[in-house]
This record gives sequence, structure tokens and C-alpha cells, in this order.
Amino acid sequence: MPKVIGETKKSFVTGNETAAWACLAAGAEMMFGYPITPQNEIMHYWTRLAPKYGRGFLQTEDELSAGFTVCGSVQCGKKAFTATAGPGNVLMQEPFGMAEAMRLPMLAIIQQRGGPSSGTVVYSQQEVTLTTFGGNGEGMRIVYSTATHQEIYDYVIKGFNTAWKYRFPVFILGDGYQAKMREPMEMYDPEERGIEMVKTYPLIGLPGKITEGREPQHLCNIYSLEEELYEVVMKVAAEYESIQDQIVEYDEKNCDDADIIVVSHGVVSRAADDAVKILRAQGIKAGYFRPITLRPFPAKQLRAAIAKSGAKKLLIAESAYGQLDRLTKQEIFGETVKIENLFMPGVGIIDYDITSKVKSVL
Amino acid sequence: MIFTGEVLRFTLKQTDRIIEAYVGEYASGKSEMAINRALELKNQGRQVTLVDLDTVEPFYTLRIIKKSLQEMGLKLISFAREESFGLGETGAMLNPQARWALMNEGDVILDIGYGVHGAKTLNLVEGAYESPDLKILAVINGTRPMTDTQAKVQEYLRELGRVDAIVLNTHLGDQSTPDIIKSGNDLIQAAAREMGIPIAYVALEEKWREIIPVADYQLPIKYIKRFMPGAIW
Repeated sequence: MPKVIGETKKSFVTGNETAAWACLAAGAEMMFGYPITPQNEIMHYWTRLAPKYGRGFLQTEDELSAGFTVCGSVQCGKKAFTATAGPGNVLMQEPFGMAEAMRLPMLAIIQQRGGPSSGTVVYSQQEVTLTTFGGNGEGMRIVYSTATHQEIYDYVIKGFNTAWKYRFPVFILGDGYQAKMREPMEMYDPEERGIEMVKTYPLIGLPGKITEGREPQHLCNIYSLEEELYEVVMKVAAEYESIQDQIVEYDEKNCDDADIIVVSHGVVSRAADDAVKILRAQGIKAGYFRPITLRPFPAKQLRAAIAKSGAKKLLIAESAYGQLDRLTKQEIFGETVKIENLFMPGVGIIDYDITSKVKSVL
Repeated sequence: MIFTGEVLRFTLKQTDRIIEAYVGEYASGKSEMAINRALELKNQGRQVTLVDLDTVEPFYTLRIIKKSLQEMGLKLISFAREESFGLGETGAMLNPQARWALMNEGDVILDIGYGVHGAKTLNLVEGAYESPDLKILAVINGTRPMTDTQAKVQEYLRELGRVDAIVLNTHLGDQSTPDIIKSGNDLIQAAAREMGIPIAYVALEEKWREIIPVADYQLPIKYIKRFMPGAIW
């Protein structure tokens, strides 16, 4: 079998291709999926590449099945993943919930598109709420929001490791722009970079006999007794909270003396980064804060940034109508900093949008 | 000398009617080449129609920059926002004007979107296969992961079907260097030579005009402007 990444070199690629190559490089064995824009090329490229590297693919009849087949595959110890968007993400909330309940190490790449409803294939950041807290559960999942193709590559590789180390479902949250746009990035073999890939392991069919040397796995998503459900949810919540500090990732710039901190995530944070540089050059004390993990959210770090800067305002900028805003507010409840918004659902945000807004509210 | 060895030459027709279809790997630069070629012909005073033939995701392609292209005087067959009616992926769409594109007077440049099917998509354009003027040009970028070795380029070209000539379009966006461009174009040329497919021209961004001069090549060079970054994807 040929090596996936021969020499490390830069390639000119789309975000979707990057995701497919990253899954290959991370040693993913199987993709289950159903076509949906704007993630289609993840599947296209995976199906073109998988046979060359002895990997598998199954197109299921819909996203429900795609999600559940990933749930089944990872229980067998296979490094499996799926990719979807929009209404596909809605349908997959059911299997994602199963993955939360059964603590399954599944990975899903979400390329956000617009909503509400089904047919809007264009860019948006409107799947934040769905991806972080979708399903009839408590959002026991890990969501990395990427901003560049290099990050898609890096976080897909990291995401598989996070999933198999901690056994919570992991999401790589991109969007229609990241999916389709082209930019250079560097593909590498993770092992050659010193990144140890967490070994996969089966969750069923284990050696030994229950009661004779091994405990039952209890892969269960059905609890008929209220007290039992209470116990399970409290235990999972405690475990989730105990690993938060190891998982949380964020990026912060110019917050030490900021009068206003611009909070954004994903591709919008690229505009925010540029905007803060422009504002600083004009003598306006702006800071930049970007949660990389939306779940768990870097709440402590954002509170610390507010405290040390003494910022009077936060500006939350997103290509949605308040999804990051709600998430941020619930996470930093009690802070008295005034929160301003730049909501541009479905529309890309550029540096000018942010600099203009900052100037209008300062 | 950037390119050495035997060079297969291919002359783009400069007289009569020019009909060129740009095919190639997804994100290989088909739209850039098609736009630049159409503008070049228009600037020569020729009558030219540029056709966006992306049937899979017509709203992710030239739509965003349609207006600015029209403002440059280009006749463009492509969906505009006001012409679309909410169809996303609910059906492959063929613009009726695209189906009958060859009925336009003058030159026709076809941007065949969504690369994998290559020239097969041309079955949607009335009279394309029968046209003696049709030239199918494969755009290849040697930094794209599916076409970054000689063997991969050859494998890819075999999958693509009919290709009359190749456009060398190696670049790495704003991280391009003369070395990257050279090594990518060299491997494509080596593949093309082995398969007996001629090179139509080398596409170089305008900024390389002084740095990589025409004299360094044994092939025609077209200095191009990149429009697609304006389309975001």
C-alpha cells in the first residue's frame, strides 16, 4: 500500500479536499456518508482516494444511516468518520446523540450552510447551536471550529485522537467558504511530525468473560428508569467537565489593554484578525479573541481576557443571527462588559465590516 | 531555460471561429483560464461568449463575479442571482442559453465545471462533438494533490478522456515561487510528452512577467490575471 503523504510539501487545495486527505493521513479506515453541498468533495475525494490506500466507503440511504453506521463501525474498533452539512447535520443529531450516550469515538466534519430548512446550500455559520448542543442530550461533544485549510488538516488529525482518547464525539466545524475556497497548505504525515496517533480498539466482542475478569461495557443508549438515567448523565457530565481544561483551545491577540474585544470563530476570525490589526494601526485599542473549541468553550480564558484588559465592550461578529452570541453569553454569564453584535447571517464578513462596527460603538 | 527537451507544440487557432472547452481537475484553474482567454479574444476585437457549464453547483462558480466580468464587456452565459430560484442541489441545472451556446456568433469559450467528468459534460451542448473547431484543453496545476507527480498526471489524463492539448497552470496561490511553478510544470510536461499530448500554453500570473520572461520558455506563455479569488471559493 503506498504511503499517503510521501514528502511533506505545499499543495493548492480546497478545504474539502484537505479534509479527505487529512482523514487518510490520520489513518481513517472507513467513511460513511450521503451527498450534500457544500461537503460533497470530501466524499468525492475520499471515494477516489480510498481504493488506492485500502480504505472503505459506503454511501448510505440517508444521513441517519450514515451516522448510525459510523456508530457501529467505531464499536468494532474501526477509525470511521462522516461528513455532512445543513439538513444532513439535523438528521445526524440522532446518531450523534447515540455517540454521546454510548461514548463512541466518532468524528464528523460539518461544512455549515445556510438555514432555516433544507435547500440553502450557500455559506453561513448557522450550525453552531446545532453542532454544539444539537440532539436530546446535554451537548457532551467536542467541537473544533477551523479557520484555514491548514487548520482543517491539523484538527482532523487531532480530532481523531481526541475522539479515541476521550471517547466523546468530535466535530470539525467548517463552512461553505472553507469547503470551496482554495489556498495553499502543507500536508504531512502525522507520525513523522511526532504526532502519535491514538490506537483504535474494539468496544464489543472483547476477550474474557463478564464476571470472570472483565466488566461489562454497558454500551447503552436506553434507560428506562429515571434514577438510572440521572446517574448516567451525571457521571458523563462529570467526566466531560474533568477533561475540559485539556481540550479547550483558543487564540487571543492584543487583549492586554483592549478597550473592545472582537469575539469571532471560524473563517470570520480571519477578518477579525485583520480588523484588529487595522484598528491598532489607527490607534484604536482593539483585541482579538477566538474560541477554537466552541464546545467546550474557553470561558475561563475569555473571562480572564475581559478582566486583564478592563475592556468596556465585546463585539461578537458572526455570519449567523446570534448563535455564537448566545453561546458566549451563557458561558460568561455574570460578566458586566457590554456586548455589541455584528450579525450577518449567510453573508461573509470582511475586515471593513468589523472596523466600521467597532468605530460605531466605541 | 525553464523547459528542456523535446517540446510538442500546439497552436491555438487564430483564425476563423475559436471554440475552446476548458476541462480539468476540480480547482485546477479552468474558470481562470476560460475568463482570461475570453478577455484576451475580446481585447483582440473578436466577438466572444464565455459559458459557465457547471451543472452540479452552478451557484458556487462564476455567479459572484458575473457582474464585474460583464462590466469588462464580456458576454457571459451564467446564472445570476436574480435568475436563480432557490435551486441548490435539488437538481442539476442546465442554463438553456448554455445548451445552445454554439449558436452564438463568434468565438465560444466553455468553462466545464466540476472536473471529474471532463469533456463528457459537453454532451449537454448542442453540436459540440460535431464541431470541427472544438478544442478541448485540460488545465493542470502541478501543486494539486491529484496531479503532483508525473504518474498521477498520466493517470488523471487517462481518466479524463479526449484532451486536445494541456494548459500548464502550476501555482500555489500567493505562495507561488518560480521554483514551484517550474517543478510542477516540468512534471506535467513530462507526462504530456510521454502520452503525446501537446501543450497549448503556459499560464503565468501577470506579476511574473519580468521575473519569468517569455524568452525562458520554448512554449507560448499567457500572462493572466486571477479573477476567481473575487468569487471567494
